[in-house]
Amino acid sequence: MQYISFVMGQLARNAKHGWTAQIMTLFTVMLSVLIFSFFFLVYTNMQKAASRLCNELRLVVYLESEVPTNFRTEFQKKITNFEEVEDIVFVSREDAFARLKKQLGNDSDVLAGLDPSFLPYSVEIYPTRNLKSLARIKEFSDYLGGLPGAIKVQYGQEWIERFGYFVSLLRIIVVLTGALLILTSVFMVSHTIRLTLESRQEELEILRFLGATDSYIRGPVIIEGFLLGLLGALSGVTALSFLYQWIKIRFSGPGFMNLFELSFLPGSTIFIILSMSLLLCTSGSMISIRKYLKL
Amino acid sequence: MNNTHLAPPLIDIVKVSKVYPPNIMALNDISLTIGRGEMVFLTGASGAGKTTLLKLLCFLEYPTKGLIEQDQKDISQLSSIDLQLMRQQIGVAYQDFKLLSKHTVYQNIALAMEVRYENPTKIKKRVMELLNDLGLSDKIHIATNKLSRGEQQRVCLARACANRPALILADEPTGNLDTESTDKVMTLLNKLHKSGTTLLIATHDSTIYRDTDHRIINIENGKLQEILKVKLDF
Ligand SMILES: Nc1ncnc2c1ncn2[C@@H]1O[C@H](COP(=O)(O)OP(=O)(O)OP(=O)(O)O)[C@@H](O)[C@H]1O
Ligand SMILES: [Mg+2]
Repeated sequence: MQYISFVMGQLARNAKHGWTAQIMTLFTVMLSVLIFSFFFLVYTNMQKAASRLCNELRLVVYLESEVPTNFRTEFQKKITNFEEVEDIVFVSREDAFARLKKQLGNDSDVLAGLDPSFLPYSVEIYPTRNLKSLARIKEFSDYLGGLPGAIKVQYGQEWIERFGYFVSLLRIIVVLTGALLILTSVFMVSHTIRLTLESRQEELEILRFLGATDSYIRGPVIIEGFLLGLLGALSGVTALSFLYQWIKIRFSGPGFMNLFELSFLPGSTIFIILSMSLLLCTSGSMISIRKYLKL
Repeated sequence: MNNTHLAPPLIDIVKVSKVYPPNIMALNDISLTIGRGEMVFLTGASGAGKTTLLKLLCFLEYPTKGLIEQDQKDISQLSSIDLQLMRQQIGVAYQDFKLLSKHTVYQNIALAMEVRYENPTKIKKRVMELLNDLGLSDKIHIATNKLSRGEQQRVCLARACANRPALILADEPTGNLDTESTDKVMTLLNKLHKSGTTLLIATHDSTIYRDTDHRIINIENGKLQEILKVKLDF
């Protein structure tokens, strides 16, 4: 209890002397958390949208002739050689005809008297539902087009492909901003704390003469780093939630954004971001105090 | 006096030399034993090596040669945490004060107790008491760089006494003081001595040891020499 009040006293004293550096650090930590979590938020929402898209995503390969039953395994193997897929369905003319009839519903009588033979044979390929397959869909489709007997490959619109590229670009941004978060927090916090320590050098020396233990000297410094991390991350996440609310209001209503049912970061992710920031800032402060403990 | 020599001594200095770079021989092969509860005066000309001896006893410097035992422990063998804890048991009034210039009198004195995680009420009580003893009560919230040298000196002494340590090393505790303040300082030191504290006082000020019954040790060019108290006046 006493120690806590002592630490608080120390912190107040430090804050009085070096508050500009502390505010700057707090701001930097907040910004890095905000930038990182913003991109992460966009990424997770894109990912959700993508997986929704993936549900409807399939590649249809139209064939010259039906693949004979005994060649089907080989054909499937050729497809999975390129990439694992969720499912492969061979569609016979009859199947296709039945499907068409069903699609037409009440108007199905236009098909009356027609023979299924006007429809082509096809294979439907359902890619695995992840972003990787989305990003590679163009390559995959080119590959499928090169299979023996393939006439034409069809899949959603071109924008699906673009979307895939976009999502993988986002992934890179998330990784980069994550690295930025790590670097800036550790650097800024250890820098600020080094500044406070430098301004306290005389005090640290005298503390040594008075018999202060390492833990006595280290305590307030580490708690300072911890608090910078905590407050920085909390304000970063709070800023993000305001930004999120604003975007939601701004872009709700009909249109493109409806494809994305926007959702905020789940609690567990926020928790991870907070603990990351705490961990980084605390280790930043530990790095800078080490030199002073060798006094 | 004799029975203090039966108990193990608090400080045992055996054939210690201290050479500062490049080759300043500050202490030359000195031996000295100080018993628990003793009060010892250390005299000698300027540059004789008094401060150096005190610095060795509070681990600010290490002997170039020889052995120092405190509390029967060889100090060169102590780990850094042991040294830190041991320093908490030694009150030092430095010749150059080593006060935190921007901090108040109160904060400076309290710091010595804070590093031992003492209770704030206890700290407050003790600081008030010391300031009262040394006639500094009205300066309590003044930054120490605003004080006169004599006042700074007393703050430094108060800090050294704050924890009622087992050992007090006072380097010129009355150097800048008038008679009245000198009396206050000596009253405080004598009070601590009576309560069992061991004191080693380096001084030029013959008025504070002139009439004493305690040992007086003189250093001359890094060599020790005990002044045997022969009360010639009688
Ligand atoms: N850090 C140092 N480096 C080099 N020489 C030093 C150092 N400290 C002290 N000395 C020298 O060691 C000798 C003893 O110094 P010390 O400070 O112990 O003297 P003193 O008896 O305390 O003197 P005074 O009464 O003036 O305080 C002096 O010649 C001094 O110049
Ligand atoms: Mg001296």
